[in-house]
Amino acid sequence: MPSVHFDHVSKRFGATTVVEDFSLDVEDGELLVLVGGSGSGKTTILRMLAGLEEVTEGTIRIDDRDVTALPPRDRDVAMVFQDYGLYPHMTVRENLSLGLRLRKVARTEIDRRVAWAADMLRLEPLLDRKPKQLSGGQQQRVAMGRAMVREPLVFLFDEPLSNLDAGLRAQMRIEIGGLQRRLMTTTVYVTHDQVEAMTLGDRIVVLADGRIQQIGKPIELYRSPVNRFVAGFVGTPPMNFVDGNVAQKNGSISFTSDGIDFPFLSERRASDVPSGSVTLGIRPEDMTVDVLDAQSDGPTRGLQGRVVLVERLGGTSHIHFDAGPHRLLAAVSNDRLPEVGDAISVRLHSERIHLFVGDRRISSVI
Amino acid sequence: MKTLRRIALYTGLTIAALTFIYPFLWMASATFKPLSEVGTIALFPSHATLDNYRTMWARAPFGRALLNSMFVAGTITISVLVFGSITAYSMARLRFRGRPVLNAATMGVLLVPGQLTLIPMYTLIVQFGWVDTYAALIVPYLFNATAILMMRQFFLQIPQSLIDSARMDGMGEMRILFTIFWPLSRPVLSIVAIFTFMGSWNEVLWPLLVVREQHLMTLPQLLTVFSLGGGAGSIGVSLASAMVLVVPVVIAYAILQRNFIESMASSGVKG
Repeated sequence: MPSVHFDHVSKRFGATTVVEDFSLDVEDGELLVLVGGSGSGKTTILRMLAGLEEVTEGTIRIDDRDVTALPPRDRDVAMVFQDYGLYPHMTVRENLSLGLRLRKVARTEIDRRVAWAADMLRLEPLLDRKPKQLSGGQQQRVAMGRAMVREPLVFLFDEPLSNLDAGLRAQMRIEIGGLQRRLMTTTVYVTHDQVEAMTLGDRIVVLADGRIQQIGKPIELYRSPVNRFVAGFVGTPPMNFVDGNVAQKNGSISFTSDGIDFPFLSERRASDVPSGSVTLGIRPEDMTVDVLDAQSDGPTRGLQGRVVLVERLGGTSHIHFDAGPHRLLAAVSNDRLPEVGDAISVRLHSERIHLFVGDRRISSVI
Repeated sequence: MKTLRRIALYTGLTIAALTFIYPFLWMASATFKPLSEVGTIALFPSHATLDNYRTMWARAPFGRALLNSMFVAGTITISVLVFGSITAYSMARLRFRGRPVLNAATMGVLLVPGQLTLIPMYTLIVQFGWVDTYAALIVPYLFNATAILMMRQFFLQIPQSLIDSARMDGMGEMRILFTIFWPLSRPVLSIVAIFTFMGSWNEVLWPLLVVREQHLMTLPQLLTVFSLGGGAGSIGVSLASAMVLVVPVVIAYAILQRNFIESMASSGVKG
């Protein structure tokens, strides 16, 4: 039985539609990530689930109970906010226990739960401090503790890491993931950061313009994005796109564009591919770069380019190069890197090429 | 050079301060002077006496007027804080039909000078049959547009996530206002409280219009009637009655001074 169930949920503010016909099941104990750019509707969806925003159309069920019209306090969900939402005039202990006190939980039970959460999140030494006296990471843990002591059916996280610096963000990401696996509480997590989504989510929902683009496991989104938006959104650095044409040539099928002539299909699968204009997508890490000798003409077919920028990151390096009018990016882990201005030959790993007709990806092109 | 400049500065400041303080000190000391000495400029009476106070207290019910003033100003202040913050909270943080109209109406009230509403208000009080009642003194001041707008402005700056967390924690809107917003809004609440209390405490015109019974009069009203009506008889008694009016405010100011200045400064910066 799904723990959370959205059934054709829409949200409109006046004439503006923010979320359109959103249906989704979140399984019991699952960590589901809603990811999308700003204005994608992800936070609105979370706030509707929390009861902080009214639903214009559709129903939301939690644990098979229709909560669409219930106020937040009757939904048995707890939320961690982007700026934590800690009460500045109360101590950490008061912040943790307030929700329980308002629910008339017994004193001893409150103490037990606060001690349990404080122990799990290493908050004991901070219990009598005010939020202002805590670092960002500590405030974040208090916000999580406040959600935990409630022992809710569902945890909601609204971009909880975006106020932290990069190092702390990575650390808290691991903590949140670990905590969720230990508690096995159904969790809906909103972020605009696809790295966060990929590393944390059991499943990911990619949103754009208030609509679901794709739902799937992280690797599915990465390997088989359904459309250009998902392909470009998931993965760092992002996928390269080249607009061009598919044409039959000398019995094989080639992708051609300005400065690019690339044969990538064997004849027997030619029927799968529509001819005409398509967009080729290739991830930077699915290319191999070879430096061409100055004297040689290099391969006559495939991708050739000239290096415009090399970013050395240590493990992998990013090579920005121009192939015809197209600026592309390859991520390579060689130690021998080309220099700016070098002519290079680039091999695309043909099993990793994505073809898009219009916005949609054509599956099984290879 | 630096020291010299500093000496000059402090001398100037001292003279300026004295020009403000001296009349007040003179007034305070004059109330303790016998009638023959009141006209002198000296600060210290040669024969200190409480006669002026005794005469004043005997001729008019100043004790009662003091209690009336405290009751009226206190009730008005509490009401402006409680009802004003409820209104300000709803205007700042709740979405409802008619909110823009409410905002505009509140702003509009500010634009109408008090003198303009004085006569209609008086007619209304007469028709309600409230002349010579506490209601006439209190009810017209229960709400204050300036206070509402000041609080609204402050409430707008409180992060939405605090309201959201409070709602998730199970609080209703009233509880959010009084347990979350009030403690965080101390600067604006204290400045509204002080201004409202002082405004109400010093009000003379309105009480003069709606109250004629001596036992219902507020302190400044009684003082005005007493001094202008010739009840005082001497300048010493007049000044003594003025002292009774001023002292509570001075004491309140001394106690709240830090809060007062802080809130003035902070509301200036944040607002």
